[in-house]
Amino acid sequence: MTKAKRPKNQKSLQGQMRVIEAVMASLIVVSAVAFLYLFAATPSSQPQETSELEKIGHNVLHDIDEQRLLARFVYRSEWANLTSALVVSLPTNVYFNLAIYDVNGNPINHPLMQYGNQQVFDSSKAVASVSYIVPGYQTNYSPRILVLKLVRG
Amino acid sequence: MRAARGKKGQFIVIAALLLSIMIIAVSTVIYGTVTYYRQERWEEYVTVVDSIKTASCNLLQVGLANYTQTQTLNQSVLRDYFNQWMRDVRKAYPGFGVDLSYSLASGIRSAYGVNLNYSMGLARTWNQQVSFSAADATVNIDVASLGLKGYNFSSHAFLKMNIRDAVWYSKEGKRYVLIYISVDKEGPEAVVNLQKSNFGVKLSGAPASSFSLKRYYSSAYSCFIYEIQVSSIDLKPSSVEVTLQDTRGIKTVSYTTNIGQNSA
Repeated sequence: MTKAKRPKNQKSLQGQMRVIEAVMASLIVVSAVAFLYLFAATPSSQPQETSELEKIGHNVLHDIDEQRLLARFVYRSEWANLTSALVVSLPTNVYFNLAIYDVNGNPINHPLMQYGNQQVFDSSKAVASVSYIVPGYQTNYSPRILVLKLVRG
Repeated sequence: MRAARGKKGQFIVIAALLLSIMIIAVSTVIYGTVTYYRQERWEEYVTVVDSIKTASCNLLQVGLANYTQTQTLNQSVLRDYFNQWMRDVRKAYPGFGVDLSYSLASGIRSAYGVNLNYSMGLARTWNQQVSFSAADATVNIDVASLGLKGYNFSSHAFLKMNIRDAVWYSKEGKRYVLIYISVDKEGPEAVVNLQKSNFGVKLSGAPASSFSLKRYYSSAYSCFIYEIQVSSIDLKPSSVEVTLQDTRGIKTVSYTTNIGQNSA
């Protein structure tokens, strides 16, 4: 059997149709992807920043505690040493404010332990807060809760 | 023939439509999953659990320090501390639904090369050449807000002192006692940061008013050694007693009557 010859103009018409179909298919796929982008929520940097600061804050307090210095600083009221330890341990562009409470949430009297201006804390949108509990020191059980607030300068 | 060709051409469009539906469906599922886990406060949960875990380990050391330092040897101190700790942790993390439970070790256990006879989580053997103080507890943490249940860990506190040798020297008119001590803690790990103020020495039952302390690694003993020298001891002592209180406040007392003599 020999293949019937098609007229030249019919062939080119079919070729054009293929191109149109391909363009339509591409448009459908592109429009589907575009449709998805309408609903995609790009992650805002603020929660990530806070999460990162929380991690840093917790690690620093944990490290000082591991060296058996945290309880000593807190229970022997070595506030200057505690502030210095935090300044040295935290990255240079991270500012902090530390407050100490008893287990009922009553603040413990201590001088201001802060690195960085208050304005930085007031103006920053991403303030991370880390709570760290210290149960006691030497033979005495008397829990203290350290609340460390961190911002990036 | 023409209709058949037309149908073949439409297949690309139909395939593209199906592909689009698939992309949208898969993306919807991925998007839902990602946004759900992004909203969870994982970092906060991890820090809370880690903070409670570290504090519980510290509490064990505080309990052991209290047990070893008080004259009356309050055997229930660890239980009392943990009971209070359970209540205080709930107060400290009110929004998390933290529930803590514990069990204290009891009975004889072998660890760190010694037999530990635990009662209410505490054990000690003092006034021996090898003396130790130990505490052991298993803590269970549930965090309701996280759906975390049954996270448990064992915590140990341990301090061991070994009088390796005690020798009375009488050489060239100088008479003194040298005491060689090794100190280990849980791990086991050699304790290398002790100062003179951490030790107390008694010779023949009488406190040594002054002594010197050296620290070094001894190849003879194959461990880190504290060398205590008590000078001006005219007679060979009948006994040597060394009291140690480490930086955590945990105490132990070693005692020996096995004293060597080295005379020129």
